[in-house]
Amino acid sequence: MSMIEFQQASKRFGQHVVLHPLDLAIGQGEVAVVVGPSGSGKSTMLRCINGLETLSAGDLRVDGISVLGAPRDVRRIRLEAGMVFQQFNLFPNLTALQNVMFGPIRARGQTKAEAREIAEALLQKVGLSQRMQHYPSQLSGGQQQRVAIARALAVQPKLMLFDEPTSALDPELRQEVLKVMQTLAGEGMTMVVVTHEMGFAQRVGSRLLFMEAGRVVHDGKPVDMLSAPPGDRFREFLQHVH
Amino acid sequence: MSFDWSAVFAAFPDLLLGLRLTILIALAGLGGGVALGILAGVALTYGGRLAAAPAQCYVALIRGTPIVVQVMFVYFALPIMMNIRISATSAAIITLIINAGAYNAEIIRGALEAVPGGLREAGLAMGLPFYKVLAHVIAPIAFRRALPAMGNQFVNLVKDTSIFLVIGVGELTRRGQEIMAENFRAVEIWTAVACIYLLVISALALGLRVLERKVRLQ
Repeated sequence: MSMIEFQQASKRFGQHVVLHPLDLAIGQGEVAVVVGPSGSGKSTMLRCINGLETLSAGDLRVDGISVLGAPRDVRRIRLEAGMVFQQFNLFPNLTALQNVMFGPIRARGQTKAEAREIAEALLQKVGLSQRMQHYPSQLSGGQQQRVAIARALAVQPKLMLFDEPTSALDPELRQEVLKVMQTLAGEGMTMVVVTHEMGFAQRVGSRLLFMEAGRVVHDGKPVDMLSAPPGDRFREFLQHVH
Repeated sequence: MSFDWSAVFAAFPDLLLGLRLTILIALAGLGGGVALGILAGVALTYGGRLAAAPAQCYVALIRGTPIVVQVMFVYFALPIMMNIRISATSAAIITLIINAGAYNAEIIRGALEAVPGGLREAGLAMGLPFYKVLAHVIAPIAFRRALPAMGNQFVNLVKDTSIFLVIGVGELTRRGQEIMAENFRAVEIWTAVACIYLLVISALALGLRVLERKVRLQ
């Protein structure tokens, strides 16, 4: 069964169609990399998956649960789908450790001791065991984003959604974040990644989606699509991001 | 003219009784005003039209009328309309809570709106219901943003208690007035009363500054 299934799912803001009716299935363990010019609907498509945007028509199921269901169903989807944001969105009043402990305690109802164990292990995994007591403002962008990844993982999701996770970072800080994401993909995590990092798409992606004007225009294996770009717009796009 | 310290000493026990009532009314107004302010502030910010409209009316009504008129209304008009009896102190406390609540509501709305939307989304994306996001993500940040303006509001609230002398509440200013009516020692009594207010408010301001520093974001 597919982990994520778009069924004629569409989104419009007033008269403006951001996402045309889309049929798309993403299977367990897939790493789907979504690229395209800005304003093409990539982020909207991603945010529909965990209900941060509501569909205008059609249906979308995550692990069999519809985003159109009761608020409780949407919350179940969100527990299963961790999200990482472009702007990190760490809680500024909490330390790195407390940020990662937040989900287990507040969303999963685990005890402080359990949450601490989970958080320490995850911060170690993203290479920040030396920074656990630091506040977000005391961390670099790359470190903040790694904390944010750990924070999302702490809720023990089945899939991870990344919304331009490296776009707000200086080039030299991007690699440390991409490396963590690559490790995660290697462990079999289902991932949808909106990004401009074509290198990551090639190395880590199992699937590459090219979006333009609210439509998924190309959908294929990254190696194939990058070695023989299907279509002029995609070829043009590649020249711009490279 | 000479400053008669003995008049101050003689008046002191009475003034302290007044101060006790002032502090009691202020504390009740502060606590109740914060609670009411949070309620109305949340309604203004997240309530949708259905909850925001009554909150807007409430704020407009209270901010648009003097507190003296409000306390007169609560003490004299309300008992007639509702056929109840109400003590002057109760009327003072009720008025102060309702009055402070309206000002606090606007401060809290501003603070809630200033919290970056990304934090709210981060909370929601973890599967928390909105009320938990509000309590555990938004409130801690909004509280810090609201603190300076709220502190100012608390200081005003303490001084506003003096207005209740108009309905005969025996708070600090009223006591001063009564003592002065007996001994005509205007300079001594009003100096003493002013100094007591100054001391109380200085202590409050200091406490607020310490609290602000303690919760300041790194």
